[in-house]
Amino acid sequence: MRTVALVLAAYGMACGIASGQVLPSEPVTFGDGRVVVGGEIAASIAPEDTGFFNYSDYEHSTLRELRIGLSASVRASDRLSVLGEIRTENFERVTPFALYARFRPWRDRRFDIQAGRIPPTFGAFTRNTYGARNPLIGYPLAYQYLTSLRTDAVPADAEELLRMRGRGWLSNFTVGNLAAARGLPLVTAFSWDTGVQVSTGWRTLDVSAAITNGSASNPRVDDDNDGKQVAARVTLRPTVGLVLGTSFSRGQFGARPLVDALGAEEGRRFMQRAFGADVEYSRGYWVGRAEAVMSEFRIPALAPPLVPSPLRALAVSIESRYTFLPGMYVAARAEHLAFSRVAGTGRVEEWDAPVTRVEAGGGYYIQRNLIARVAVQVNRRDGGRVPRATLPAVQLLYWF
Amino acid sequence: MRVAILLAAALLHMGASGGLGVLSASRAPGAPSATLRGRVEFRRALAAPERRPAVSDLASPAARDLPDRRRAVVYLETAPRGAFEDREPQRARMDQRNETFLPNVLAVTVGTTIDFPNNDSTYHNVFSLSRTRRFDLGRYAQGRSKSVRFDRPGIVRVFCDIHSHMSAFVIVFNHRYFATTDTEGRYRIDAVPPGTYTVVAWHDGANRDTRTVTIPETGHVELDFVVP
Repeated sequence: MRTVALVLAAYGMACGIASGQVLPSEPVTFGDGRVVVGGEIAASIAPEDTGFFNYSDYEHSTLRELRIGLSASVRASDRLSVLGEIRTENFERVTPFALYARFRPWRDRRFDIQAGRIPPTFGAFTRNTYGARNPLIGYPLAYQYLTSLRTDAVPADAEELLRMRGRGWLSNFTVGNLAAARGLPLVTAFSWDTGVQVSTGWRTLDVSAAITNGSASNPRVDDDNDGKQVAARVTLRPTVGLVLGTSFSRGQFGARPLVDALGAEEGRRFMQRAFGADVEYSRGYWVGRAEAVMSEFRIPALAPPLVPSPLRALAVSIESRYTFLPGMYVAARAEHLAFSRVAGTGRVEEWDAPVTRVEAGGGYYIQRNLIARVAVQVNRRDGGRVPRATLPAVQLLYWF
Repeated sequence: MRVAILLAAALLHMGASGGLGVLSASRAPGAPSATLRGRVEFRRALAAPERRPAVSDLASPAARDLPDRRRAVVYLETAPRGAFEDREPQRARMDQRNETFLPNVLAVTVGTTIDFPNNDSTYHNVFSLSRTRRFDLGRYAQGRSKSVRFDRPGIVRVFCDIHSHMSAFVIVFNHRYFATTDTEGRYRIDAVPPGTYTVVAWHDGANRDTRTVTIPETGHVELDFVVP
């Protein structure tokens, strides 16, 4: 994979140096503009992340991957469009990331209905996961870092939960699926949920709400627990350049086999509630963003010492980007992920290890749609086998 | 795209040499001259650039204007020697309106300052990475305008950093013998000194048609183009 990425990087560099704008920059269109196809390729290289700070599962680090995405929109009429996206990481398999219909009943009114595998309602960063919108290489902790909680297994007691601190990339518990597997992030940026979404707006206010199959941490194509997620987001633009947003999500995240094994009453306790607040302000050559995500996970308390309910996690991030020359910018993000405290056998600790991350870097536009990035990420964790990691990374990103 | 690079190189060459690509005819006040005019036709239908699929958006994107892509630029590739003299500072304007640059092709002479007013209720961020003129105007709101002076001949591709579907061309010439076509493809270059010239019809960075024409001492010459 690394070789492929390097070859791509070298080729892209060569093309970019040869001219100001060689690679096509516009999406491909068919059928008199009714079918539009865009794409994005991101090749990222970084040293081994032995602390698993950037892993989206046991196999994949977001700093060491080749991600290719193809998106398409098909305009069936003035009111109806079908949108979709497929992605592959490291050429392993092609996954349908999004596939939904967008319907606007009244042509001149801001009211849209989206149904299918839809974009996340919750949060601000979920719509910035596309390379061109993310000024850095890594993802914010709230959307990527894996806690030890799982959909298909649950700790028997609080001590067992505490033993998994800092091991979300491969946690295991004694109730449910005994095999070790990845845990859940607070909100995932790596898959989308399935359901129906409604959006409307008045002047500077936008409101969206959705009912979907999964939860913020565990989006689903099919419903595996008979529980629906309800999510909402409100954004306000009081002045040009300022966006204030708030989000809410509530959904069951327990998988069917575990829910069935624990019984209906206990099974219903696998509930996640998430609250988000975000702000973006831009002016001149500056763009600044801040976001806070608070998540409450409720899981059954099976044996003493009991796991308290809810288990809380709070992620706060602040980032800024400054363009200092045409086509060149610097950016930085500072963030912290904190957890509520749990009493185990003879100790009281956060139920997962708090993480602090600072990532700083910059980007150079080889072409308008070909960006070379470099960043250094410093991670500190209050627990786990590898409590610190400093990771340099480079990325080449192309989109059309 | 390669054609665009060649054109840029030719324009740069003309500007740098001052001799190569320049015919011996010089133009004095009252000297004989004629008008070059005609039409530029396009061999294929020209689709407006579409937005990238807004898959991650929660709602339909706002309506926007589609740029008129039928505008071509016709110019003398080899201009009279006197063409490079008596330049006066010029001012031009490229609007940002309904998420479109208006006009989306602007031909100017070296030394021209172009204003980029924002007429939309959202931010725009005009920038260019072209070697001829590299600039970034930052984000500015409705009612504000920023300017860029173009001091070198060549092709400048202009983009918006916020709206990926917004793009335009600024073509900077070292002489005044050029014209931008109207919506029906017509052009007109006045006061061309007599002589034989290579004339180019350029369109959208990638397509061009080149013809040779002899300009008489008076009257006009019709010269039509067909770009691929």
